[in-house]
Amino acid sequence: MKPKLSLIILAILSIVLLSVYFLPMPIYYKHVLILTLFYAYMGTAWNIMCGYAGRLSLGHAAFAAVGAYTTLILYRGLGLSPWLGMIAGGLLAVCIMMLIAYPCFRFGLKGPYFTLASIALMEIVQNLLTFMRSLTGGSLGLSLPYKPTNFALFQFDGKETYYLIILLFWAIAVFAVWKMERTRYYLEAIREDESAASALGISVNKNLIKAAVISAFLVAIGGAFYVQYFRYIDPYTIAGFGLSLNLALVTIIGGSGTIFGPTIGAVILIPLSEFLRLSAGTQLPGLHLFVYGVLLIMTIIYLPKGIASIPGIMNAKKIRKANIKNAAAGGSGVNE
Amino acid sequence: MSMETFLQIIASGILLGGIYALLSIGLNLIFGVIKIVNLAHGDFIMLSMYATFFLFTTFKINPYISTLIVFPLFVILGIIIFKLIIKPLLGKGETEVNTILATAGLGFVLQNAALMLWGSDFRAIETNLTGKSYEFAGIMLSAGRFWAFIVCLVVAGVLYYLLMYTSLGSKIRAVSQDSDAATLMGINVNMIYTLTFGVGIALVGIGGAIITPTFYVFPTVGLYFNTLAFIIVVLGGLGSFTGALVGGLIIGLIETFTGVVASAELAQVFSLLIFLVILFVKPEGIMGKGARV
Repeated sequence: MKPKLSLIILAILSIVLLSVYFLPMPIYYKHVLILTLFYAYMGTAWNIMCGYAGRLSLGHAAFAAVGAYTTLILYRGLGLSPWLGMIAGGLLAVCIMMLIAYPCFRFGLKGPYFTLASIALMEIVQNLLTFMRSLTGGSLGLSLPYKPTNFALFQFDGKETYYLIILLFWAIAVFAVWKMERTRYYLEAIREDESAASALGISVNKNLIKAAVISAFLVAIGGAFYVQYFRYIDPYTIAGFGLSLNLALVTIIGGSGTIFGPTIGAVILIPLSEFLRLSAGTQLPGLHLFVYGVLLIMTIIYLPKGIASIPGIMNAKKIRKANIKNAAAGGSGVNE
Repeated sequence: MSMETFLQIIASGILLGGIYALLSIGLNLIFGVIKIVNLAHGDFIMLSMYATFFLFTTFKINPYISTLIVFPLFVILGIIIFKLIIKPLLGKGETEVNTILATAGLGFVLQNAALMLWGSDFRAIETNLTGKSYEFAGIMLSAGRFWAFIVCLVVAGVLYYLLMYTSLGSKIRAVSQDSDAATLMGINVNMIYTLTFGVGIALVGIGGAIITPTFYVFPTVGLYFNTLAFIIVVLGGLGSFTGALVGGLIIGLIETFTGVVASAELAQVFSLLIFLVILFVKPEGIMGKGARV
């Protein structure tokens, strides 16, 4: 995709999503919209490290948990505004990411080993959160005390403001990915062939760590949004395998390593899963996750580059057909 | 800590370690031969536990007997899963990452199928061994775990014999060492992969059946065993057979000790930290040999 085109799409999408805000609709739809944007944002953050650089992390929920718990604990304990707590959580997530990413890249951990390390990190965070009962409420979780609308406290009655905030977050994340232009291509080069990239003078470790740190920071900010919106967290949901896999899911089904892949994935998956949950939730409680699993398997087998790759595939087919026609008509059949 | 408590912890740790080893052998076999990580591993344990549970409650079949039923069923299940999900991903590039994702998806499917079919209740069975224990020289051993440990030894012995002293075993080892060279030697690699996956899943099935009398059964029980099994096989060496046994014993002892001295959560954190250190320093595991991947 041409770089400028991405920016234009981002602008158009933002305007469309912003105007949706003024449409009259039932409150439940607003909730689904917020969820969709939340996962689009989180997927975009996940994509920076896992899609572009090809290091598959299934433990990113650890960073969401760090962001969420830091924000909430600082607010409950010290009355610190969640806007500041969020930054603190993001920085803490960056530190933890450095702690794990540096040895991972230094020792060249790749493929399944890297994924296992990311899962282990998540389980460590989950167990520590459960263990530190006096601070985190243990497995019972922590809730955010209700306050009427107050911007400084990141609490609002009604859903509209949350929608605007997550829309802004999403636009910033997508813009950041676009802005990371050079880093992005470096990362892709690293993913495709690490030794060739390093021979070309790309600093492999520096770029990987940069991507990992930005990714962790953004996911932690997302975790903070999660706690302000849902007002409740516990170690199994916010630091669990389900959330981690969800980030991977929207990105991979949409198209990992592309700017809008995670957004496409979220726009398709989240309304679908909410619809399934609403229509069959009482009789078949796990149906939407079951469908997630099936979709993930199908995507990996039949469309490993995700939905975003469909136009490319169609184009390639068209060119091939045109070539065949040319050849049949006695033309040279040379690729354009 | 008195001498008696110490010996008691050692004995319980060894029993637990043996069971953990049994739960990990299947994962290890599949990784060692096909070089893929099966993230749905724990969910196959869950399936087998449900199968054992229903065989017991409906037909009064003892869990140890039901291993004989679960084994062939799980070989077939494994072969079907391999043909449907794993085979299409082999040799297409990025196989390692794609199989991790596909099996993670499979895990979601299995967990939620179980949730839809059988609900989220915790289930347990009461056999004639429940609550019983044997006493050896002042040390109490849980009867359920004792027999599970014995089964583990038997299964490990049979598998070792199969791998080392039969022609099928040497074919499997050949494929595991170098699948291209094995193809050139006229070995049907695809057939070996299919068979290995089937047997690997069936070993998981035996493990699940054996632990049903001593653990609760519920749809997400596999998540717990998943982490555990990965820690054990990485610790012992992904793909190393004896490594799984040693890794199981080490983790069993660590968990029992830390569990007594501190708490269950810290025990897990401790195992996970060891796991990370091993990944960084010696990713081939303490018993594994060969180059870094």
